[in-house]
Amino acid sequence: MTELPSNATKRLKTIAISAGATVVGVADAAAFDAHAPAKHRPADLLPGARTVVVVGGAQPRAGDWVATSPWLLSTMGTTERIQGVGRRLAQSIESELGYYALYVPPGTASGDTPFLSLMLAAELAGLGSRSLAGPILNREHGFMYWSAVITTAPLEVDPPETAPACPAPPCREMWEREHTTPCLRVCPLHDGGCLAGRLEDGRAVRTGYDAARCNTRVHTHWVGGFQKVLEETLNEPDREKRKMLVYGDFMTRTLWAITYSSTNIAQCFECMRVCPAAHGLKEMR
Amino acid sequence: MGFFRLDPEVYARHKDEVLKLSNSFQRIDARGLSDREIAERLGLDEPTVTEIRVIAERDCYPLDEWQRAIEFKRKACRDWAAAALKRPDLKDS
Repeated sequence: MTELPSNATKRLKTIAISAGATVVGVADAAAFDAHAPAKHRPADLLPGARTVVVVGGAQPRAGDWVATSPWLLSTMGTTERIQGVGRRLAQSIESELGYYALYVPPGTASGDTPFLSLMLAAELAGLGSRSLAGPILNREHGFMYWSAVITTAPLEVDPPETAPACPAPPCREMWEREHTTPCLRVCPLHDGGCLAGRLEDGRAVRTGYDAARCNTRVHTHWVGGFQKVLEETLNEPDREKRKMLVYGDFMTRTLWAITYSSTNIAQCFECMRVCPAAHGLKEMR
Repeated sequence: MGFFRLDPEVYARHKDEVLKLSNSFQRIDARGLSDREIAERLGLDEPTVTEIRVIAERDCYPLDEWQRAIEFKRKACRDWAAAALKRPDLKDS
């Protein structure tokens, strides 16, 4: 293994930004141990892992956020752009620095569980912090997509972000006025939604989250939706009724989404759509 | 070795506990356990826990909840567009 040049971290970050990342940071691989279960830590995936390089970017544009169909935002395909940056970095680490580099694939290790939590990686790399709604928000850029590379290279590690983007000032004001926030109001746990929480001394405190329901919204037309309709179809004894299920809009949309799975994984953005810290509302002509 | 099939009775007996202990659903204050850790705690083997967890993740809500998801998103999305663009006519009725 070659010795790591003193400017290696800086050079890698420059490559990431040139390749299209909006932000880039480095996390200590060992820092995952306190938060992630076994098999989902960097060294479980790449023996000898020392750091994790995380890139973020490919945010939806202002037009995406104000589109009138919820399906448009889920089919913008922006996740692929940041995944390409991750792959590019992995290649650079191996070819230019001579250290092992494992691009964390966007798929799942088993069930719905990812190989490595990209949100945790982003947090540990100092690129953002967890919002009341769940996603990691960057102070400057808000909501973004993430990609990560696990490496044996001893790169310089970034400190975690100290001041969270959530709650945003308008949310603090709303809490004072109405005892709710935009994300809690749009998707309330107590009224058939997913989120519960409060603001305490100006900080967001999450008190409840229905992940199973969130899954039906984020992955409506995806693997879970397909399995549900398939089960319903197999249980339907009437041939014509089976046909209605299989040829119907739900199954058709689901199959399209699965066909283009890497651009259609996320299908619910409503908590982020209303979040002032996630994207801000840019008025355009 | 035949195809691994989970016994429905084993699934029914352990699904709630496995989900509660697992990392499938993020909790507020602590990390979930790995399948191996859950297996040790419940006296099961790891592949059985993995299978219970994966099936249980999908088994929490009936198909109707997927339909409700569509209606929720359609309304929330149009209501936001109406507010953001100051176009009340876009609001979901």
